[in-house]
Amino acid sequence: MNTVYAPETFEDGSTARHAPEPVLRFENVSRIYKMDRVEVPALQGVSGSIARAQSTFVTGPSGSGKSTLLNILGLLDRATSGTVDFLGEDVTQLSDKAAADFRSRHIGFVFQSFNLIPVLSVRENVEFPLLNHKMTARARRDRGAEYLEAVGLGDMMDRRPGEISGGQRQRVAIARALVSEPTLLIADEPTANLDSKTSRDIVTLMERVQREHSTSVLICTHDTDLIMPASRVINIIDGKTVQE
Amino acid sequence: MIWKIALRNILKNSRRSLTTAFAIGIGGLAALLFGGFVTSIWFGVQTSMIQEQGNLQIYRNGYLDFGAADPDAYTIKNWDQVVARLAADPMLAEELTMITPRINMVGVAGNAETGNSKTFIGTGIVPAEIDQMRQWDGWQINQTTPATGLTGGSAEDVVIGVGMARMMGLCADLAVPDCQDPPVNEAANASAEQDFSSLVAGESELATTDPTALAPQLNVMAATSTGVPNIARVSVMSAQSQSVSAIDNAFVMMNFEEARTLLYGDSQEATALMLQVRTPATLEAVKTRVAEVIAAEGLDLSVYHFTEVDPTFNRIFGMFTFMFIVVSLVLSIVIVFTIVNTISMTVMERVKEIGTIRALGFRKGFVRALFLTESVLIGAIGAALALVSALILANVVNSAGIQWTPPSNATPLTVQLMVLDNPMFAIGVVTTLIVLAFLAALTPTFRAARFNIVESLQRA
Repeated sequence: MNTVYAPETFEDGSTARHAPEPVLRFENVSRIYKMDRVEVPALQGVSGSIARAQSTFVTGPSGSGKSTLLNILGLLDRATSGTVDFLGEDVTQLSDKAAADFRSRHIGFVFQSFNLIPVLSVRENVEFPLLNHKMTARARRDRGAEYLEAVGLGDMMDRRPGEISGGQRQRVAIARALVSEPTLLIADEPTANLDSKTSRDIVTLMERVQREHSTSVLICTHDTDLIMPASRVINIIDGKTVQE
Repeated sequence: MIWKIALRNILKNSRRSLTTAFAIGIGGLAALLFGGFVTSIWFGVQTSMIQEQGNLQIYRNGYLDFGAADPDAYTIKNWDQVVARLAADPMLAEELTMITPRINMVGVAGNAETGNSKTFIGTGIVPAEIDQMRQWDGWQINQTTPATGLTGGSAEDVVIGVGMARMMGLCADLAVPDCQDPPVNEAANASAEQDFSSLVAGESELATTDPTALAPQLNVMAATSTGVPNIARVSVMSAQSQSVSAIDNAFVMMNFEEARTLLYGDSQEATALMLQVRTPATLEAVKTRVAEVIAAEGLDLSVYHFTEVDPTFNRIFGMFTFMFIVVSLVLSIVIVFTIVNTISMTVMERVKEIGTIRALGFRKGFVRALFLTESVLIGAIGAALALVSALILANVVNSAGIQWTPPSNATPLTVQLMVLDNPMFAIGVVTTLIVLAFLAALTPTFRAARFNIVESLQRA
């Protein structure tokens, strides 16, 4: 399987894996929603970084601003103020097209409710993001199959999402997020709709993915039991970082 | 992949997709059938008129503008020589199936037996040639017009309009269905007879009917080219309905030679020459060649397309075309609203999917393409339904032999819904349906592409 992000070699001979270099830095990020005439601050000056080829957990109670932060870091939403630096590029002011292209190249998403396209088969769902890349249909097909094998669903390729379990759907979603070989994998409450055993399996799978593909993984969860050892944790309460 | 997603979503929402496709299909069916009918009018009415008047007509210059006031001043002199010159041209000899003369005339007709008299509008034709023209079927639509009934008869034989027969009191003699002779008014008859008798005073043998004649007789009187009244006795062979009531009430069709002798004596004059081409495709080339021959011979004549002489066809076709446009517009509005509704519902059901697609890095254009493809596919299915059902229904209607009489015709035409006879029209309707489906989906798809990604992902 291809390595997503080759370990970067520094002057002293160390690699990114050994000397984690942030792929993403965010400073003073605020997000204020306007509801009628009332301004509701969802994030208030949050700062931090996501290390290369490491897992980072964003925790906090419901409504604390975790998802808002992930949306901004995933270029799905724009910060009201503050800067987001992704691979050395300020991505806060990217146009809609440029942001889409950036997401396509560098970011994979895993959603709480899987968000698979119901009319496509499992393999077609995984292949789907590759439509954005200049690849032949055959190459897309092979790559999709390769990643489905990697998440243990090689024997379910032709099934529709409605024909597999929730845990299997999330595995498909993970394969879909990884198939473009992104720099950063963002998972927003990926286990919220799963039972505890399946949740643990999914997190383990993501940990393995992060390790095997040297992918930076950013997971948002309110379930602190899922936090893997040696992971970085950003804790947010009331839109503010209280611990990193 | 886009086509795959679109097709599968159509199948997933099969009931809604089919309903929309049916709405498009019914609209398309109506357009195809009505268009097929208009096409049949185009072919059928033109064929009728060409059978009667020829594709082209030659007149003396100025006749169409001033001939009605002074027809004798605008006749074609030595028409037989003109015909000979045209026939001598190799190209025209090959492409023309008929060149025949016609005389238009007006005069007074009287029935010496009943004393009825009235003005008539006459036409002098060569019956055998007109009967041959009436077999013309340049577009192969199997449409013919009944023969004149004058071929092979005497030079004095005429056919009159049913209205004319009624006015002359010949309904019973000619056994014309649904035609009643006028009530006898002795005083009026005496006066009319007196008037007409005075007109025919110089032709005493015409003042009474010939008791040995087999057919009812009329006296027809017209002014010669020198202004002298001339009169002839003709035998009425039959009464045939004419398309326009005013013409029907005054119509007399007689042999060309009888009319020519009545008006011009020994002079070879005719009002017009009617030309029929072998195939409509060569019409313009033939017209050009006829004009060249006329110019080369230095003749004071012009050649016209029959629609230039008689605007009836253009008016009829224009009227039906206008109706078709109005009906099509109404159908288009219904189709557009149906598609807008369907695609809007599809979009609203798939907001989360739209958010996901955008999150995965696809641009707005991809979202637009996705839903537009779906709409175009529904349009294509609807168009296919329209085409197939139109062909089936047209076949049924065409087999039924339903008849109708267009405004220009005296005899009815069989309704032929020509759905595929004009392939460009059928292709046009199918293309229009698909384009409508595309255009109608633009608004909802553009709206879908503008959805906020985060809000879309939060949808249940």
